[in-house]
Amino acid sequence: MRRLLLATSAVVLLLLLVVSTRSINPAAPEDSQAVHQPAVQDNTSLRTLQARYKTLSKQLSQLMPREPYILVDTARNRLYVKRQDEVVLNAIASTGSGTILDKPGESKSQWIFDTPRGEFLVKTKLANPTWIKPDWAFIEEGLAVPQNAAERAEQGVLGDYALGFGKGYFIHGTLYTRLLGKNVTHGCIRLNDSDLKGVYQLARVGTPIMIF
Amino acid sequence: MMKLCAILILFVFTMPSWGKEPEAFPDLKLSDVQGLKEATRVLEEELKLAARPQTYVLIDLVGSTIQIKGRGIGLHQIPIIRWSGESRNELKGIHKLVARPSVVRRKIDPGAAGEQEPISLADMPADYVLSCSPPMTIVVVPSTAGETLLRGAAILGKSWWHHVQHWASSLFTDVPSTPTPHLQLTIAADHAQSLAWSLVDGMAIVIRRPTDK
Repeated sequence: MRRLLLATSAVVLLLLLVVSTRSINPAAPEDSQAVHQPAVQDNTSLRTLQARYKTLSKQLSQLMPREPYILVDTARNRLYVKRQDEVVLNAIASTGSGTILDKPGESKSQWIFDTPRGEFLVKTKLANPTWIKPDWAFIEEGLAVPQNAAERAEQGVLGDYALGFGKGYFIHGTLYTRLLGKNVTHGCIRLNDSDLKGVYQLARVGTPIMIF
Repeated sequence: MMKLCAILILFVFTMPSWGKEPEAFPDLKLSDVQGLKEATRVLEEELKLAARPQTYVLIDLVGSTIQIKGRGIGLHQIPIIRWSGESRNELKGIHKLVARPSVVRRKIDPGAAGEQEPISLADMPADYVLSCSPPMTIVVVPSTAGETLLRGAAILGKSWWHHVQHWASSLFTDVPSTPTPHLQLTIAADHAQSLAWSLVDGMAIVIRRPTDK
């Protein structure tokens, strides 16, 4: 029985060796030197190409984030935290409305309320953030822009956390949870309280944010 | 002894899957020289784009997909139903999007009562032309369930109009009349709207072309 098994494994090994040798150099003609030469060259260039393709594929995969990253789909208003191919968190979000607002006193100048598209990094992580209302927030409501900076501060509207990704854009909470899943914001990304907490815990300063 | 044999056989059969390298194009046959050449060219272009913090588009005519990518990661994928193209040699390289469909944006009325309608995917066009630099035109056509003769005529008309425009512009300039590379992509209407939404000015586009055997 043992001998039979040994013999079987030896035959399997031998067969595999023969098959792998053939697949490396398929149908190499041996009868003529003139025919043999181009075939060798073809095989060499094929192997060079295969090696180049594998090297480039590897280089591309090395550019992919190794740590969790945030992915935002502004068309479908979804936010994901992904670790390579694994979805760690899947949340309904609200992103930019795409609407425009004229800047008073500046002809042909407008605010466009889009969520920026591209790659960004988490730059700040804030707990219990205060919203410093920008000019457009007052103008949109038909109010005068206050001269006193203290009048711009508003507590509690951004939720428990805010993750800044530059130029005044944040991932933050919302009081208007019924609007999640819709394009209603001024460019920021809104989440409900539990998803926001999850993102805050998973992300660190430097976490990539891919927005499309 | 039997255990040893079993381990030996298991070892031999699992050996090929060890150290499996990541492959950018799983559909690529590694024995296809022309396919390999095209895949390595695309990868070389893609590496330049993925090295920077940006999103870009890969139009894979072999795999019949349009991919929004960043850092080599496929962020969103749109299937291509049909495609046709001219001047395939000119489709290689990195093209930058210079003109895309315009969107009618709603203007906020300050102090107005009630909620103002935001734009949504439904507001995006499904039938449009993208212009790129170096010169290349991508015509996006929505697929409809019962594609009528009228739709076919519209597609032909669009292609014909593209040629007439090019011919007319060459009449008034000293630039010799070389045809602008042209690619027509037929995708589902909702996917066409989604693509129009995802594209931004200056976005880089790379095309993986099929190899004629």
